[in-house]
Amino acid sequence: MAISYRDPFAQLQRELESMLERAFGTEGPSSLYPPVNLFDAGEHYVVKAELPGVRPEDLELTVQDNTLVLRGERTLPETAQNAAYHRRERGEGQFRRVVRLPGPTEGEPQAQFRDGVLTVRLPKASQARPRRVTIHSD
Amino acid sequence: MSPTDLEARPKQKAEREEGTRPGAYFTPLVDIYETPEELVLVADMPGVSREDVEVHLDGDTLTVEGRANADEYEGLKPVYVEYGVGGFYRRFTLGETIDRAGIKALVKNGVLTLHLPKAERARARRIEVEAA
Repeated sequence: MAISYRDPFAQLQRELESMLERAFGTEGPSSLYPPVNLFDAGEHYVVKAELPGVRPEDLELTVQDNTLVLRGERTLPETAQNAAYHRRERGEGQFRRVVRLPGPTEGEPQAQFRDGVLTVRLPKASQARPRRVTIHSD
Repeated sequence: MSPTDLEARPKQKAEREEGTRPGAYFTPLVDIYETPEELVLVADMPGVSREDVEVHLDGDTLTVEGRANADEYEGLKPVYVEYGVGGFYRRFTLGETIDRAGIKALVKNGVLTLHLPKAERARARRIEVEAA
């Protein structure tokens, strides 16, 4: 099966990969937890963070001016007694992450936590929003 | 201010056969532990819904796969990126005989938990030592 270049998601995936490579090279991004992606959605900024296994009630979000702060804790449920580990790659602990937005925001942000991914939509302040310009012709 | 004691581990691209499904696949981070009764595999698969997870057990080869949900990204233009987005794929060789009928999978908050009960004959038996 050929990769379809018309698939917008596949296109976005490639764009993310190339941005990652340009920003961090082969070293990979920083070890700040959680990693975040920031998107522009016209009238909103959208911040996404991967937080698998974090319970929504253990997550706290604050927004002030153009700064978003994510904090919380990831706890791994206790395993059964007598368990012997073969692999242990998943970490647990507390985190605090400050995300600076490219411009000012105003109004109520909306946050959704789905399948371990946090999505925060922050309305841009009016001066940061795109405005339609009417073109006059003679 | 709370301390940050969690570190992000950059997502690694998963190696898988060419030409299966398009799109990016990453290697999920996993915990695997064993009790006398079962093997338990816990895999971080953020962004993958319950209905997009596939688990295959072929002989002693266990394959877990999760497909990404594209809908969440409609109309979004990336500005700043710290992680790639895609599905998850990983393959394991099990050293135990598994009771296939008893396999249970649970997906919650982007985490797959797989219970693989050991087949009766593979279970370690405790042998009581009788006093003479």
